[in-house]
Amino acid sequence: MENLQLLLDGFSVLFTLQNIGVTILGAVLGLIVGAMPGIGSLAGVALLLPLTFKFNPTTAIIMLGALYYSNMYGGAFSAILLNIPGDSPAVMTALDGYPMATQRKRPGQALLTSNMASFIGGTIGMIILTFMGPALADIGLKFGPAEMTALLLVAMTSIGWLVGENPTKGLLLTMFGILLASMGMDTLSGSPRYDFGSIYLLGGIPFTPFVIGVVGFAQVIKLMEERNKKTQVSIEKLTIKGSMITLHDFKRLFFPAVRSGFMGTFVGVLPGAGATTAAFMGYAAQKSFKNEEPLGTGAIEGIAACEAANNGAAAGAFAPLLALGIPGSGTGAVLLGGLMMWGLNPGPLLFTNSPDFAWGLIASLFLANIVTLMIAWGVIPFLIKILSVPTKLMIPIITVVCVVGSYSTSNSMYGVLIMFLSGVLGYVLTKCEYQTAPVLLAFVLAPLLESNMRKAFIISQGSLDIFFQKPISLVFIIILIAIMVFPVVRPLLIRLGLMKRKAS
Amino acid sequence: MSSVEQKDRKFGVKQYIPIAMIGISIAFIWMGFAKYGFWEDLKGPRPGFFPVIISFALLAASLLALVFSFKEKAPSWPLENWLVPLSVVVIMGTTFIIGLLPSVGLYVLVWLRWFEKCTWRTTLTVFLIIMGIVIGAFVLWLGVPFPKGLILNLIAN
Repeated sequence: MENLQLLLDGFSVLFTLQNIGVTILGAVLGLIVGAMPGIGSLAGVALLLPLTFKFNPTTAIIMLGALYYSNMYGGAFSAILLNIPGDSPAVMTALDGYPMATQRKRPGQALLTSNMASFIGGTIGMIILTFMGPALADIGLKFGPAEMTALLLVAMTSIGWLVGENPTKGLLLTMFGILLASMGMDTLSGSPRYDFGSIYLLGGIPFTPFVIGVVGFAQVIKLMEERNKKTQVSIEKLTIKGSMITLHDFKRLFFPAVRSGFMGTFVGVLPGAGATTAAFMGYAAQKSFKNEEPLGTGAIEGIAACEAANNGAAAGAFAPLLALGIPGSGTGAVLLGGLMMWGLNPGPLLFTNSPDFAWGLIASLFLANIVTLMIAWGVIPFLIKILSVPTKLMIPIITVVCVVGSYSTSNSMYGVLIMFLSGVLGYVLTKCEYQTAPVLLAFVLAPLLESNMRKAFIISQGSLDIFFQKPISLVFIIILIAIMVFPVVRPLLIRLGLMKRKAS
Repeated sequence: MSSVEQKDRKFGVKQYIPIAMIGISIAFIWMGFAKYGFWEDLKGPRPGFFPVIISFALLAASLLALVFSFKEKAPSWPLENWLVPLSVVVIMGTTFIIGLLPSVGLYVLVWLRWFEKCTWRTTLTVFLIIMGIVIGAFVLWLGVPFPKGLILNLIAN
């Protein structure tokens, strides 16, 4: 009950004209960015980060939270109407959404099913977050430097392991991200480190231009390959009235959405798993239940399962982010970086030291969920126009936002230079099939990891025993070793399996 | 032909990243030990302590990635894609002469009208939208002092 009271307090923080305004603005921008194929929530949040500098931290993160959250809704629009997922979690939505829109001629109903399921999944996720967040923070309070070090290592390596097909590449980029973050100044002694004599590098690599480059600018360079593709919208007209679903449709979507909402939330809490994994799992689990139509042919149950799961995961991911300071995805890492820029330190003490902020943010997610549902429903008639914006027009728009946004963070061309270099790096990495999310996560978490690791070694006077003496850190270390060893052992196991098959 | 046989086993771009990372990790290890220090009995971990440990992990991951990279397909690098970074280099260069805002405005006009061959109507519409966002959000609202460039500074003085 105490949590509900605190949530109500959060609503009182939220209900200022400015906060409600930015929630609506974030929801609208998130829907537009999410609906446009090829941008995605990560790039969307990164590109809009500079716009929040004018606000106080609570308002700024409320806007980013609403933006991130509504992006999950928007990603489904292009998946349903164009068969092109706006973001990776919407990949599964396209499997049933597109056939329902084109073959069954029910595009409006497919969109509304997706919106309703997103709302249900998100609401479940937020209710669980309300209770789980503070509980996780209480557990986190018992963590010393050794436990935190082990936990951070698990979080960092698991995202490297889970994102992309090659875990070795994920680990490589995780380590690279940590090294980039260690440039500038030693946080404990204050002495310069790896600054290569540059006055600019003395302050380290600035976070916002780095993120805008790695995610936003790299994405624009990649978009060049798609600039001549013409967006074909086969649906001629959409209306709000024509999008209404029947009571029977609602009954079909409700239970899959509730089930997947719960599942998605718990998947979202795990570092590295995120909304995409949740959507895949939600859809896979739905296959084992009775469906009125086979999945993959335009079944309402299929759309509901994956959309509820990915929105549940998006809300669930806030639990470890706020309570332990550990983001579950690249987008979470950008949000965490934003929080740190505004002087807030997410972690076990956040709920105690900054309750206004923590509960205001959770309350804003509830509001964003309702606002996004209404706006998503309201924009249905305009979706065809939004989706018909040619990629070739998006390229100069995003490029200018990248340049101007990165300049505005430092009021110097150094920011633009960092954006440019990290963008080219991000593009080269993506082309070589390296996923950039681990770099962002590692970049953000590196200072926390270093300070905890060094404190642990100071306490133990250089002995590694400290990580094996306490049960919590021991469990994390065992998980870490398993994660590190698996990429090496996996090819050997595959080869062994192949040899056995050949022999038989 | 199996999928493994189709992979490009020649040395090329796909090996550059692991090799660059090996170089970076060796440099960080050397600097960490030689310049910043690793451990002192009385003071404990020194500034080089953490980066050196991470660099060893990066070195190991890079060596593995290098071995695996020979089984991967070489990526294609369409020349056209590099026009975007090139345009940013040009914007950075012209900023010193005519300032940032005129540079991005000029870039939008040139890109859309001459490179994308858009109509004047589309070009000007997009131009107005972009400049509206930049001036409205960044200049008027955030109050960002964008550089004016040599020419405007000369005129102002």
